[in-house]
Amino acid sequence: MLDVDFILARKSFILEIHEQFPKGITGIFGPSGSGKSSLLQTIAGLETPEKGHITIDKEVLYDSNNRLNVAVNKRQIGYVFQEGRLFPHMTVEQNLKYGYSHSHQNGVTLQAVVDLLELNDLLDQKPLHISGGERQRVALGRSLLSSPRILLLDEPFSAVDVNLRNQIIPFITRIVEHLTIPILVVSHDLPDLLKLTNRLFLLKDGKCLGHGDYYDLLKLDSFTGMISSSVLINAIEVVIKDVSKESGMVLLSHENNDENMIKCALRPSLNAVGKAVKVFIHADHIALSVKPLEQVSIQNQLKGTVVEMIPRGEKILCVVDVGFKLVADITSDSRTRLNIQKGREIWCLFKSVAIEVNV
Amino acid sequence: MTGILNFNEAEIQAILLSIKVAVLCAVILLPIALWLGYKMARYDFYGKPLIESLIHLPLVMPPVATGYVLLVLLGSNSAFGAWFYDVFGIKLAFSFNAAVIASMVVSFPLIVRSVRIAMEMVDTGLEDASRILGAGRMKTFFRITVPLAMPGIISGTILAFARALGEFGATITFAGNIQGETQTLPLAIFANMQIPGKEAATMRLVVVSVVIAFIAMVLSEWYIKKMKHARR
Repeated sequence: MLDVDFILARKSFILEIHEQFPKGITGIFGPSGSGKSSLLQTIAGLETPEKGHITIDKEVLYDSNNRLNVAVNKRQIGYVFQEGRLFPHMTVEQNLKYGYSHSHQNGVTLQAVVDLLELNDLLDQKPLHISGGERQRVALGRSLLSSPRILLLDEPFSAVDVNLRNQIIPFITRIVEHLTIPILVVSHDLPDLLKLTNRLFLLKDGKCLGHGDYYDLLKLDSFTGMISSSVLINAIEVVIKDVSKESGMVLLSHENNDENMIKCALRPSLNAVGKAVKVFIHADHIALSVKPLEQVSIQNQLKGTVVEMIPRGEKILCVVDVGFKLVADITSDSRTRLNIQKGREIWCLFKSVAIEVNV
Repeated sequence: MTGILNFNEAEIQAILLSIKVAVLCAVILLPIALWLGYKMARYDFYGKPLIESLIHLPLVMPPVATGYVLLVLLGSNSAFGAWFYDVFGIKLAFSFNAAVIASMVVSFPLIVRSVRIAMEMVDTGLEDASRILGAGRMKTFFRITVPLAMPGIISGTILAFARALGEFGATITFAGNIQGETQTLPLAIFANMQIPGKEAATMRLVVVSVVIAFIAMVLSEWYIKKMKHARR
Protein backbone atom coordinates (compact mmCIF):
# COMPACT_ATOMS: atom_id res chain seq x y z
CA MET A 1 0.00 0.00 0.00
CA LEU A 2 1.31 3.42 -0.97
CA ASP A 3 0.11 6.25 1.26
CA VAL A 4 0.53 9.73 -0.18
CA ASP A 5 -0.44 12.90 1.66
CA PHE A 6 1.37 16.07 0.66
CA ILE A 7 1.25 19.61 -0.69
CA LEU A 8 3.67 20.65 -3.41
CA ALA A 9 3.63 24.28 -4.56
CA ARG A 10 4.39 24.90 -8.22
CA LYS A 11 4.34 28.21 -10.08
CA SER A 12 1.17 27.41 -12.03
CA PHE A 13 -0.66 25.23 -9.48
CA ILE A 14 -0.56 23.64 -6.07
CA LEU A 15 -0.50 19.85 -6.08
CA GLU A 16 -2.47 18.54 -3.13
CA ILE A 17 -2.77 14.77 -2.77
CA HIS A 18 -4.30 12.76 0.07
CA GLU A 19 -4.69 9.22 -1.26
CA GLN A 20 -3.88 5.58 -0.73
CA PHE A 21 -2.91 3.41 -3.67
CA PRO A 22 -3.38 -0.35 -3.22
CA LYS A 23 -1.54 -3.16 -5.00
CA GLY A 24 -2.24 -3.51 -8.71
CA ILE A 25 -2.52 -0.87 -11.40
CA THR A 26 -4.02 2.58 -10.84
CA GLY A 27 -4.34 4.79 -13.90
CA ILE A 28 -3.55 8.46 -13.22
CA PHE A 29 -5.65 10.40 -15.71
CA GLY A 30 -5.85 14.13 -16.32
CA PRO A 31 -5.15 16.84 -18.88
CA SER A 32 -1.64 18.14 -19.57
CA GLY A 33 -0.29 20.32 -16.78
CA SER A 34 -2.59 18.84 -14.14
CA GLY A 35 0.32 17.64 -11.97
CA LYS A 36 0.45 13.96 -12.99
CA SER A 37 4.21 13.85 -13.53
CA SER A 38 4.86 16.02 -10.47
CA LEU A 39 2.94 13.45 -8.41
CA LEU A 40 5.22 10.63 -9.60
CA GLN A 41 8.36 12.75 -9.21
CA THR A 42 7.42 13.63 -5.64
CA ILE A 43 6.83 9.98 -4.75
CA ALA A 44 10.23 9.11 -6.27
CA GLY A 45 11.97 11.89 -4.33
CA LEU A 46 12.93 14.00 -7.36
CA GLU A 47 10.69 16.78 -6.01
CA THR A 48 10.39 17.72 -2.34
CA PRO A 49 6.92 18.72 -1.15
CA GLU A 50 6.26 21.66 1.16
CA LYS A 51 4.71 19.40 3.77
CA GLY A 52 3.07 16.03 4.31
CA HIS A 53 4.17 12.42 4.32
CA ILE A 54 4.74 9.52 1.91
CA THR A 55 4.89 5.91 3.08
CA ILE A 56 5.17 2.52 1.39
CA ASP A 57 3.89 -0.41 3.47
CA LYS A 58 4.25 1.74 6.61
CA GLU A 59 7.89 2.60 5.83
CA VAL A 60 8.23 6.36 5.82
CA LEU A 61 9.90 7.90 2.75
CA TYR A 62 9.06 11.49 3.55
CA ASP A 63 7.71 13.16 6.64
CA SER A 64 7.85 16.93 7.01
CA ASN A 65 6.98 16.80 10.73
CA ASN A 66 10.02 14.67 11.54
CA ARG A 67 12.18 16.29 8.84
CA LEU A 68 12.67 12.91 7.22
CA ASN A 69 13.40 12.71 3.51
CA VAL A 70 14.81 9.39 2.26
CA ALA A 71 17.32 9.89 -0.59
CA VAL A 72 16.17 9.05 -4.12
CA ASN A 73 18.56 6.10 -4.41
CA LYS A 74 17.37 4.57 -1.12
CA ARG A 75 13.65 4.59 -1.93
CA GLN A 76 13.54 1.38 -4.01
CA ILE A 77 11.07 2.74 -6.51
CA GLY A 78 10.80 1.68 -10.13
CA TYR A 79 10.30 4.60 -12.49
CA VAL A 80 9.79 4.31 -16.25
CA PHE A 81 10.11 7.67 -17.94
CA GLN A 82 8.22 8.85 -20.99
CA GLU A 83 11.33 8.69 -23.16
CA GLY A 84 12.79 5.59 -21.51
CA ARG A 85 16.01 7.30 -20.42
CA LEU A 86 18.24 4.36 -21.25
CA PHE A 87 21.95 5.05 -20.78
CA PRO A 88 23.20 5.58 -24.34
CA HIS A 89 26.79 4.46 -23.68
CA MET A 90 25.73 1.05 -22.35
CA THR A 91 24.29 -2.00 -24.05
CA VAL A 92 20.77 -3.16 -23.32
CA GLU A 93 22.21 -5.84 -21.00
CA GLN A 94 24.34 -3.30 -19.10
CA ASN A 95 21.27 -1.07 -18.79
CA LEU A 96 19.23 -3.95 -17.40
CA LYS A 97 21.92 -4.84 -14.86
CA TYR A 98 22.55 -1.25 -13.74
CA GLY A 99 20.21 -1.26 -10.76
CA TYR A 100 20.52 -4.98 -10.08
CA SER A 101 23.47 -5.09 -7.67
CA HIS A 102 22.24 -2.27 -5.45
CA SER A 103 19.00 -3.76 -4.39
CA HIS A 104 17.68 -6.38 -2.09
CA GLN A 105 16.62 -9.23 -4.32
CA ASN A 106 12.91 -9.60 -4.92
CA GLY A 107 13.35 -12.93 -6.65
CA VAL A 108 13.25 -11.33 -10.10
CA THR A 109 16.19 -12.60 -12.15
CA LEU A 110 17.73 -11.13 -15.26
CA GLN A 111 16.74 -14.20 -17.25
CA ALA A 112 13.12 -13.99 -16.04
CA VAL A 113 12.87 -10.34 -17.10
CA VAL A 114 14.54 -11.05 -20.45
CA ASP A 115 12.03 -13.85 -21.07
CA LEU A 116 9.02 -11.90 -19.82
CA LEU A 117 9.74 -8.83 -21.93
CA GLU A 118 11.22 -10.75 -24.89
CA LEU A 119 14.55 -8.92 -24.79
CA ASN A 120 16.84 -11.80 -25.72
CA ASP A 121 17.72 -10.52 -29.19
CA LEU A 122 18.40 -7.00 -27.95
CA LEU A 123 20.93 -7.66 -25.16
CA ASP A 124 24.05 -6.68 -27.14
CA GLN A 125 22.46 -3.69 -28.84
CA LYS A 126 22.96 -0.04 -27.95
CA PRO A 127 19.76 1.95 -27.15
CA LEU A 128 20.26 4.10 -30.25
CA HIS A 129 19.68 1.07 -32.48
CA ILE A 130 16.44 -0.24 -31.06
CA SER A 131 12.89 0.98 -31.66
CA GLY A 132 10.89 3.21 -29.33
CA GLY A 133 8.73 0.31 -28.18
CA GLU A 134 11.78 -1.86 -27.50
CA ARG A 135 13.36 0.97 -25.53
CA GLN A 136 10.28 1.20 -23.29
CA ARG A 137 10.40 -2.57 -22.73
CA VAL A 138 14.07 -2.34 -21.71
CA ALA A 139 13.26 0.59 -19.39
CA LEU A 140 10.48 -1.51 -17.84
CA GLY A 141 12.84 -4.47 -17.39
CA ARG A 142 15.54 -2.26 -15.89
CA SER A 143 13.05 -0.97 -13.30
CA LEU A 144 11.83 -4.46 -12.45
CA LEU A 145 15.40 -5.63 -11.81
CA SER A 146 15.97 -2.90 -9.22
CA SER A 147 13.54 -4.72 -6.87
CA PRO A 148 10.97 -1.93 -6.74
CA ARG A 149 8.37 -1.73 -3.97
CA ILE A 150 6.19 0.39 -6.25
CA LEU A 151 6.34 0.97 -9.98
CA LEU A 152 5.72 4.40 -11.52
CA LEU A 153 5.13 4.64 -15.27
CA ASP A 154 5.12 8.21 -16.60
CA GLU A 155 3.35 8.39 -19.98
CA PRO A 156 4.98 5.12 -21.06
CA PHE A 157 3.11 5.12 -24.36
CA SER A 158 3.40 8.67 -25.58
CA ALA A 159 6.82 8.23 -27.18
CA VAL A 160 5.65 5.31 -29.29
CA ASP A 161 3.07 5.07 -32.05
CA VAL A 162 -0.33 3.41 -31.73
CA ASN A 163 0.77 0.00 -33.01
CA LEU A 164 3.67 -0.16 -30.58
CA ARG A 165 1.45 0.89 -27.68
CA ASN A 166 -0.60 -2.19 -28.23
CA GLN A 167 2.62 -4.20 -28.09
CA ILE A 168 3.72 -2.72 -24.75
CA ILE A 169 0.39 -2.96 -22.94
CA PRO A 170 0.38 -6.79 -22.76
CA PHE A 171 3.88 -6.68 -21.21
CA ILE A 172 2.67 -4.37 -18.44
CA THR A 173 -0.28 -6.69 -17.87
CA ARG A 174 2.15 -9.61 -17.59
CA ILE A 175 4.17 -7.74 -14.97
CA VAL A 176 1.09 -7.30 -12.80
CA GLU A 177 0.61 -11.06 -12.85
CA HIS A 178 4.15 -11.50 -11.48
CA LEU A 179 4.49 -8.64 -9.00
CA THR A 180 2.03 -7.73 -6.27
CA ILE A 181 3.04 -4.10 -5.82
CA PRO A 182 1.25 -0.81 -6.41
CA ILE A 183 1.73 0.35 -10.01
CA LEU A 184 0.83 3.91 -10.99
CA VAL A 185 0.50 4.60 -14.70
CA VAL A 186 0.22 8.22 -15.85
CA SER A 187 -1.46 8.98 -19.16
CA HIS A 188 -3.60 11.62 -20.80
CA ASP A 189 -5.00 8.92 -23.09
CA LEU A 190 -8.02 7.25 -21.48
CA PRO A 191 -8.32 4.19 -23.77
CA ASP A 192 -4.64 3.35 -23.12
CA LEU A 193 -5.25 3.44 -19.38
CA LEU A 194 -8.45 1.42 -19.60
CA LYS A 195 -6.57 -1.27 -21.50
CA LEU A 196 -4.54 -1.71 -18.29
CA THR A 197 -7.01 -1.00 -15.51
CA ASN A 198 -10.51 0.20 -14.64
CA ARG A 199 -9.21 1.80 -11.43
CA LEU A 200 -8.59 5.46 -12.14
CA PHE A 201 -7.30 8.44 -10.21
CA LEU A 202 -8.47 11.71 -11.74
CA LEU A 203 -6.27 14.77 -11.46
CA LYS A 204 -6.95 18.30 -12.62
CA ASP A 205 -5.17 21.55 -11.67
CA GLY A 206 -3.29 19.71 -8.94
CA LYS A 207 -6.44 18.44 -7.21
CA CYS A 208 -7.97 14.96 -7.13
CA LEU A 209 -11.40 14.86 -8.76
CA GLY A 210 -12.07 11.22 -8.01
CA HIS A 211 -10.47 7.85 -7.37
CA GLY A 212 -12.17 4.54 -8.05
CA ASP A 213 -13.84 2.40 -10.67
CA TYR A 214 -14.20 3.89 -14.15
CA TYR A 215 -17.98 3.28 -14.30
CA ASP A 216 -18.51 4.96 -10.92
CA LEU A 217 -16.38 7.93 -11.96
CA LEU A 218 -18.52 8.43 -15.06
CA LYS A 219 -21.15 9.91 -12.74
CA LEU A 220 -18.84 12.89 -12.17
CA ASP A 221 -19.51 15.85 -14.47
CA SER A 222 -15.91 16.91 -14.02
CA PHE A 223 -14.74 13.57 -15.45
CA THR A 224 -17.15 13.32 -18.38
CA GLY A 225 -16.35 16.95 -19.18
CA MET A 226 -12.68 16.02 -19.48
CA ILE A 227 -13.18 13.33 -22.12
CA SER A 228 -14.50 13.42 -25.66
CA SER A 229 -17.07 10.96 -27.01
CA SER A 230 -14.49 9.24 -29.18
CA VAL A 231 -12.54 8.01 -26.14
CA LEU A 232 -15.54 6.86 -24.12
CA ILE A 233 -15.12 3.12 -24.14
CA ASN A 234 -16.24 0.08 -22.24
CA ALA A 235 -13.46 -2.08 -20.83
CA ILE A 236 -14.59 -5.56 -19.81
CA GLU A 237 -12.55 -8.42 -18.38
CA VAL A 238 -13.73 -11.71 -19.86
CA VAL A 239 -12.74 -15.36 -20.21
CA ILE A 240 -12.88 -17.30 -23.50
CA LYS A 241 -15.65 -19.90 -23.10
CA ASP A 242 -15.92 -21.39 -26.54
CA VAL A 243 -14.15 -21.18 -29.87
CA SER A 244 -16.04 -22.32 -32.95
CA LYS A 245 -13.94 -22.58 -36.07
CA GLU A 246 -16.98 -23.56 -38.16
CA SER A 247 -18.98 -20.43 -37.40
CA GLY A 248 -15.87 -18.26 -36.95
CA MET A 249 -17.20 -17.02 -33.60
CA VAL A 250 -15.80 -16.87 -30.07
CA LEU A 251 -17.92 -16.77 -26.91
CA LEU A 252 -16.67 -14.57 -24.05
CA SER A 253 -18.03 -14.58 -20.53
CA HIS A 254 -17.64 -12.07 -17.69
CA GLU A 255 -17.22 -13.66 -14.24
CA ASN A 256 -18.76 -16.93 -15.46
CA ASN A 257 -22.02 -15.23 -16.30
CA ASP A 258 -23.14 -17.59 -19.06
CA GLU A 259 -26.45 -15.82 -19.61
CA ASN A 260 -25.07 -12.71 -21.27
CA MET A 261 -22.05 -13.91 -23.21
CA ILE A 262 -20.32 -11.67 -25.75
CA LYS A 263 -19.97 -13.02 -29.28
CA CYS A 264 -16.84 -11.92 -31.02
CA ALA A 265 -15.35 -12.67 -34.43
CA LEU A 266 -12.59 -15.33 -34.29
CA ARG A 267 -9.07 -13.98 -34.46
CA PRO A 268 -5.63 -15.53 -33.83
CA SER A 269 -5.30 -14.08 -30.32
CA LEU A 270 -8.63 -15.59 -29.23
CA ASN A 271 -8.06 -19.30 -29.79
CA ALA A 272 -7.51 -20.73 -26.29
CA VAL A 273 -10.54 -21.66 -24.19
CA GLY A 274 -10.12 -20.50 -20.59
CA LYS A 275 -7.79 -17.62 -21.43
CA ALA A 276 -8.51 -14.27 -19.72
CA VAL A 277 -8.64 -11.22 -21.99
CA LYS A 278 -9.91 -7.68 -21.86
CA VAL A 279 -12.31 -6.43 -24.54
CA PHE A 280 -13.24 -2.89 -25.46
CA ILE A 281 -16.41 -1.53 -27.04
CA HIS A 282 -16.82 2.16 -27.85
CA ALA A 283 -19.81 3.75 -26.13
CA ASP A 284 -21.10 5.10 -29.43
CA HIS A 285 -20.91 1.64 -31.05
CA ILE A 286 -23.66 0.39 -28.72
CA ALA A 287 -27.30 0.80 -29.72
CA LEU A 288 -30.20 0.42 -27.26
CA SER A 289 -33.46 -1.35 -27.99
CA VAL A 290 -36.54 -1.89 -25.85
CA LYS A 291 -36.95 -5.42 -27.28
CA PRO A 292 -34.64 -7.96 -28.91
CA LEU A 293 -34.42 -7.70 -32.68
CA GLU A 294 -34.95 -10.65 -34.97
CA GLN A 295 -33.61 -11.09 -38.47
CA VAL A 296 -30.76 -8.68 -37.97
CA SER A 297 -27.03 -9.22 -38.47
CA ILE A 298 -26.06 -7.77 -35.08
CA GLN A 299 -24.65 -10.70 -33.07
CA ASN A 300 -24.69 -9.23 -29.59
CA GLN A 301 -28.01 -8.44 -27.95
CA LEU A 302 -27.46 -8.33 -24.20
CA LYS A 303 -30.43 -7.87 -21.89
CA GLY A 304 -29.93 -5.58 -18.91
CA THR A 305 -31.29 -2.83 -16.69
CA VAL A 306 -30.58 0.88 -16.92
CA VAL A 307 -28.72 1.81 -13.72
CA GLU A 308 -27.60 5.34 -14.48
CA MET A 309 -28.52 8.18 -16.82
CA ILE A 310 -25.78 10.79 -17.05
CA PRO A 311 -26.60 13.93 -19.06
CA ARG A 312 -23.65 15.13 -21.08
CA GLY A 313 -24.42 18.19 -23.19
CA GLU A 314 -26.87 17.24 -25.93
CA LYS A 315 -26.28 13.56 -25.27
CA ILE A 316 -26.87 11.13 -22.47
CA LEU A 317 -24.60 8.45 -21.13
CA CYS A 318 -26.71 5.45 -20.32
CA VAL A 319 -25.13 2.89 -17.99
CA VAL A 320 -26.74 -0.54 -18.35
CA ASP A 321 -26.11 -3.51 -16.07
CA VAL A 322 -26.04 -6.65 -18.26
CA GLY A 323 -24.18 -8.74 -15.67
CA PHE A 324 -21.42 -6.19 -16.06
CA LYS A 325 -21.70 -2.49 -16.74
CA LEU A 326 -21.93 -1.13 -20.27
CA VAL A 327 -22.04 2.55 -21.09
CA ALA A 328 -23.85 3.67 -24.24
CA ASP A 329 -23.84 7.17 -25.69
CA ILE A 330 -27.36 8.12 -26.88
CA THR A 331 -29.11 11.32 -27.96
CA SER A 332 -31.82 13.04 -25.94
CA ASP A 333 -34.16 12.32 -28.80
CA SER A 334 -33.57 8.54 -28.54
CA ARG A 335 -34.14 8.73 -24.83
CA THR A 336 -37.51 10.41 -25.32
CA ARG A 337 -38.60 8.12 -28.16
CA LEU A 338 -37.73 4.92 -26.32
CA ASN A 339 -38.69 6.32 -22.91
CA ILE A 340 -35.42 5.15 -21.41
CA GLN A 341 -35.18 5.74 -17.69
CA LYS A 342 -33.44 4.38 -14.65
CA GLY A 343 -34.62 0.86 -13.80
CA ARG A 344 -35.97 0.12 -17.28
CA GLU A 345 -35.22 -3.23 -18.93
CA ILE A 346 -33.28 -2.74 -22.15
CA TRP A 347 -31.21 -4.55 -24.77
CA CYS A 348 -27.68 -3.45 -25.65
CA LEU A 349 -26.87 -4.13 -29.29
CA PHE A 350 -23.41 -4.17 -30.82
CA LYS A 351 -21.75 -5.92 -33.74
CA SER A 352 -19.18 -8.61 -33.10
CA VAL A 353 -16.67 -6.69 -35.22
CA ALA A 354 -17.05 -3.63 -32.97
CA ILE A 355 -15.13 -5.45 -30.26
CA GLU A 356 -11.44 -4.70 -29.76
CA VAL A 357 -9.31 -7.19 -27.89
CA ASN A 358 -6.24 -6.68 -25.74
CA VAL A 359 -4.06 -9.78 -25.41
CA MET B 1 70.65 19.96 -42.26
CA THR B 2 72.79 17.18 -40.81
CA GLY B 3 72.64 18.92 -37.46
CA ILE B 4 68.87 19.11 -37.31
CA LEU B 5 68.57 16.00 -35.13
CA ASN B 6 71.75 16.70 -33.16
CA PHE B 7 70.18 17.62 -29.82
CA ASN B 8 72.59 18.74 -27.16
CA GLU B 9 72.05 17.94 -23.48
CA ALA B 10 70.37 21.25 -22.66
CA GLU B 11 67.89 20.79 -25.50
CA ILE B 12 67.02 17.25 -24.47
CA GLN B 13 66.58 18.46 -20.89
CA ALA B 14 64.23 21.20 -22.10
CA ILE B 15 62.16 18.74 -24.13
CA LEU B 16 61.84 16.21 -21.28
CA LEU B 17 61.19 18.94 -18.75
CA SER B 18 58.43 20.42 -20.91
CA ILE B 19 56.71 17.05 -21.31
CA LYS B 20 57.04 16.40 -17.57
CA VAL B 21 55.61 19.82 -16.65
CA ALA B 22 52.74 19.52 -19.16
CA VAL B 23 51.82 15.95 -18.13
CA LEU B 24 51.95 16.78 -14.41
CA CYS B 25 49.90 19.92 -15.00
CA ALA B 26 47.18 18.02 -16.90
CA VAL B 27 47.13 15.09 -14.44
CA ILE B 28 46.85 17.32 -11.36
CA LEU B 29 44.25 19.61 -12.96
CA LEU B 30 41.98 16.81 -14.23
CA PRO B 31 40.39 15.76 -10.90
CA ILE B 32 40.08 19.40 -9.80
CA ALA B 33 38.42 20.32 -13.09
CA LEU B 34 36.05 17.31 -12.87
CA TRP B 35 34.90 18.38 -9.43
CA LEU B 36 34.68 22.10 -10.13
CA GLY B 37 33.22 21.63 -13.64
CA TYR B 38 30.46 19.43 -12.19
CA LYS B 39 29.67 21.91 -9.40
CA MET B 40 29.54 24.81 -11.86
CA ALA B 41 27.40 22.84 -14.33
CA ARG B 42 24.88 21.49 -11.81
CA TYR B 43 24.58 23.91 -8.92
CA ASP B 44 23.66 27.53 -8.42
CA PHE B 45 25.20 29.01 -5.33
CA TYR B 46 25.91 32.37 -3.75
CA GLY B 47 28.95 34.03 -5.31
CA LYS B 48 28.98 31.77 -8.40
CA PRO B 49 29.62 34.66 -10.86
CA LEU B 50 32.58 35.77 -8.74
CA ILE B 51 34.10 32.26 -8.71
CA GLU B 52 33.51 32.05 -12.46
CA SER B 53 35.35 35.34 -13.05
CA LEU B 54 38.22 34.23 -10.82
CA ILE B 55 38.59 30.93 -12.72
CA HIS B 56 38.68 32.75 -16.06
CA LEU B 57 40.98 35.55 -14.95
CA PRO B 58 44.27 33.89 -16.07
CA LEU B 59 42.76 33.54 -19.55
CA VAL B 60 42.52 37.29 -20.04
CA MET B 61 45.41 38.49 -17.87
CA PRO B 62 48.86 38.96 -19.43
CA PRO B 63 50.77 35.77 -18.44
CA VAL B 64 53.66 37.88 -17.12
CA ALA B 65 51.22 39.59 -14.76
CA THR B 66 49.92 36.18 -13.66
CA GLY B 67 53.50 35.12 -12.96
CA TYR B 68 54.09 38.28 -10.98
CA VAL B 69 50.96 37.73 -8.86
CA LEU B 70 52.15 34.15 -8.19
CA LEU B 71 55.53 35.50 -7.15
CA VAL B 72 53.90 37.97 -4.75
CA LEU B 73 51.59 35.31 -3.29
CA LEU B 74 53.90 32.27 -3.21
CA GLY B 75 57.45 33.66 -3.45
CA SER B 76 60.01 33.10 -0.66
CA ASN B 77 59.35 36.59 0.69
CA SER B 78 55.58 36.07 0.87
CA ALA B 79 53.94 34.89 4.08
CA PHE B 80 52.65 31.67 2.48
CA GLY B 81 55.89 30.90 0.62
CA ALA B 82 57.95 31.38 3.81
CA TRP B 83 55.57 29.24 5.87
CA PHE B 84 55.54 26.51 3.21
CA TYR B 85 59.35 26.42 3.16
CA ASP B 86 59.52 26.28 6.98
CA VAL B 87 57.01 23.42 7.25
CA PHE B 88 57.81 21.27 4.18
CA GLY B 89 61.28 22.47 3.26
CA ILE B 90 60.09 23.02 -0.31
CA LYS B 91 60.84 26.21 -2.21
CA LEU B 92 57.94 27.20 -4.44
CA ALA B 93 59.26 30.08 -6.56
CA PHE B 94 62.14 29.64 -9.05
CA SER B 95 61.96 25.85 -8.95
CA PHE B 96 60.52 22.96 -10.98
CA ASN B 97 57.40 23.23 -8.74
CA ALA B 98 56.99 26.84 -9.84
CA ALA B 99 57.05 25.81 -13.51
CA VAL B 100 54.24 23.31 -12.83
CA ILE B 101 52.21 25.79 -10.73
CA ALA B 102 52.55 28.54 -13.38
CA SER B 103 51.38 26.13 -16.11
CA MET B 104 48.49 24.93 -13.94
CA VAL B 105 47.21 28.44 -13.27
CA VAL B 106 47.17 29.47 -16.92
CA SER B 107 45.71 26.12 -18.13
CA PHE B 108 43.06 25.96 -15.41
CA PRO B 109 40.34 28.04 -17.14
CA LEU B 110 40.66 26.01 -20.35
CA ILE B 111 40.18 22.58 -18.75
CA VAL B 112 37.43 23.72 -16.35
CA ARG B 113 35.51 25.37 -19.17
CA SER B 114 35.69 22.28 -21.41
CA VAL B 115 34.63 19.93 -18.60
CA ARG B 116 31.84 22.22 -17.48
CA ILE B 117 30.36 22.61 -20.97
CA ALA B 118 30.60 18.85 -21.56
CA MET B 119 28.81 18.15 -18.27
CA GLU B 120 26.12 20.72 -19.01
CA MET B 121 25.39 18.75 -22.20
CA VAL B 122 24.77 15.54 -20.23
CA ASP B 123 21.01 15.06 -19.74
CA THR B 124 20.31 15.40 -16.00
CA GLY B 125 17.36 13.08 -16.59
CA LEU B 126 19.84 10.23 -17.06
CA GLU B 127 21.41 11.11 -13.70
CA ASP B 128 17.93 11.05 -12.11
CA ALA B 129 17.29 7.65 -13.72
CA SER B 130 20.56 6.34 -12.30
CA ARG B 131 19.73 7.57 -8.78
CA ILE B 132 16.24 6.07 -8.91
CA LEU B 133 17.85 2.75 -9.87
CA GLY B 134 19.69 2.86 -6.54
CA ALA B 135 23.04 4.37 -7.54
CA GLY B 136 24.53 6.95 -5.16
CA ARG B 137 25.98 10.28 -6.28
CA MET B 138 29.50 8.87 -6.74
CA LYS B 139 28.41 5.92 -8.88
CA THR B 140 26.14 8.18 -10.92
CA PHE B 141 29.02 10.62 -11.43
CA PHE B 142 31.58 8.04 -12.52
CA ARG B 143 29.31 5.71 -14.51
CA ILE B 144 26.90 8.18 -16.14
CA THR B 145 28.12 11.80 -16.05
CA VAL B 146 31.85 11.27 -16.68
CA PRO B 147 31.53 8.69 -19.51
CA LEU B 148 28.92 10.83 -21.29
CA ALA B 149 31.04 13.97 -20.89
CA MET B 150 34.24 12.13 -21.87
CA PRO B 151 34.87 13.81 -25.26
CA GLY B 152 34.81 17.23 -23.57
CA ILE B 153 36.94 16.00 -20.67
CA ILE B 154 39.59 14.67 -23.07
CA SER B 155 39.55 17.84 -25.15
CA GLY B 156 39.96 19.91 -22.00
CA THR B 157 42.85 17.77 -20.75
CA ILE B 158 44.64 17.98 -24.11
CA LEU B 159 44.03 21.72 -24.19
CA ALA B 160 45.57 22.07 -20.70
CA PHE B 161 48.52 19.87 -21.77
CA ALA B 162 49.10 21.96 -24.90
CA ARG B 163 48.72 25.26 -23.04
CA ALA B 164 51.27 24.08 -20.42
CA LEU B 165 53.62 23.06 -23.21
CA GLY B 166 53.47 26.57 -24.69
CA GLU B 167 53.50 28.49 -21.39
CA PHE B 168 56.13 31.21 -21.34
CA GLY B 169 55.28 34.47 -19.58
CA ALA B 170 54.12 33.21 -16.18
CA THR B 171 56.87 30.58 -16.12
CA ILE B 172 59.76 32.95 -16.80
CA THR B 173 58.43 35.40 -14.20
CA PHE B 174 57.60 32.93 -11.43
CA ALA B 175 59.97 30.02 -12.16
CA GLY B 176 62.83 31.74 -13.93
CA ASN B 177 64.88 30.31 -16.79
CA ILE B 178 67.07 27.75 -15.04
CA GLN B 179 68.45 25.12 -17.40
CA GLY B 180 67.47 21.59 -16.34
CA GLU B 181 65.04 22.84 -13.72
CA THR B 182 62.64 25.41 -15.15
CA GLN B 183 63.84 25.93 -18.74
CA THR B 184 60.97 24.42 -20.73
CA LEU B 185 60.79 24.35 -24.56
CA PRO B 186 59.49 27.91 -25.10
CA LEU B 187 62.08 29.26 -22.67
CA ALA B 188 64.86 27.30 -24.39
CA ILE B 189 63.68 28.55 -27.80
CA PHE B 190 63.70 32.13 -26.50
CA ALA B 191 67.17 31.69 -24.94
CA ASN B 192 68.57 30.23 -28.18
CA MET B 193 67.05 33.03 -30.24
CA GLN B 194 69.05 35.55 -28.25
CA ILE B 195 72.38 33.93 -29.20
CA PRO B 196 73.77 34.40 -32.76
CA GLY B 197 74.58 31.10 -34.51
CA LYS B 198 71.94 29.14 -32.61
CA GLU B 199 69.39 29.26 -35.47
CA ALA B 200 69.54 25.48 -36.07
CA ALA B 201 69.01 24.73 -32.39
CA THR B 202 66.06 27.16 -32.31
CA MET B 203 64.53 25.48 -35.35
CA ARG B 204 65.04 21.98 -33.84
CA LEU B 205 63.15 22.97 -30.70
CA VAL B 206 60.36 24.66 -32.67
CA VAL B 207 59.92 21.48 -34.76
CA VAL B 208 59.82 19.36 -31.59
CA SER B 209 57.15 21.68 -30.10
CA VAL B 210 55.01 21.35 -33.21
CA VAL B 211 55.43 17.56 -33.30
CA ILE B 212 54.48 17.07 -29.63
CA ALA B 213 51.42 19.34 -29.91
CA PHE B 214 50.40 17.64 -33.16
CA ILE B 215 50.68 14.14 -31.68
CA ALA B 216 48.58 15.21 -28.69
CA MET B 217 45.85 16.64 -30.94
CA VAL B 218 45.82 13.59 -33.23
CA LEU B 219 45.61 11.20 -30.27
CA SER B 220 42.70 13.10 -28.71
CA GLU B 221 40.80 13.30 -32.02
CA TRP B 222 41.35 9.57 -32.57
CA TYR B 223 40.15 8.70 -29.07
CA ILE B 224 37.05 10.91 -29.28
CA LYS B 225 36.17 9.40 -32.65
CA LYS B 226 36.66 5.90 -31.28
CA MET B 227 34.41 6.68 -28.34
CA LYS B 228 31.66 8.12 -30.53
CA HIS B 229 31.87 5.01 -32.67
CA ALA B 230 31.62 2.74 -29.61
CA ARG B 231 28.47 4.55 -28.53
CA ARG B 232 26.72 3.64 -31.76
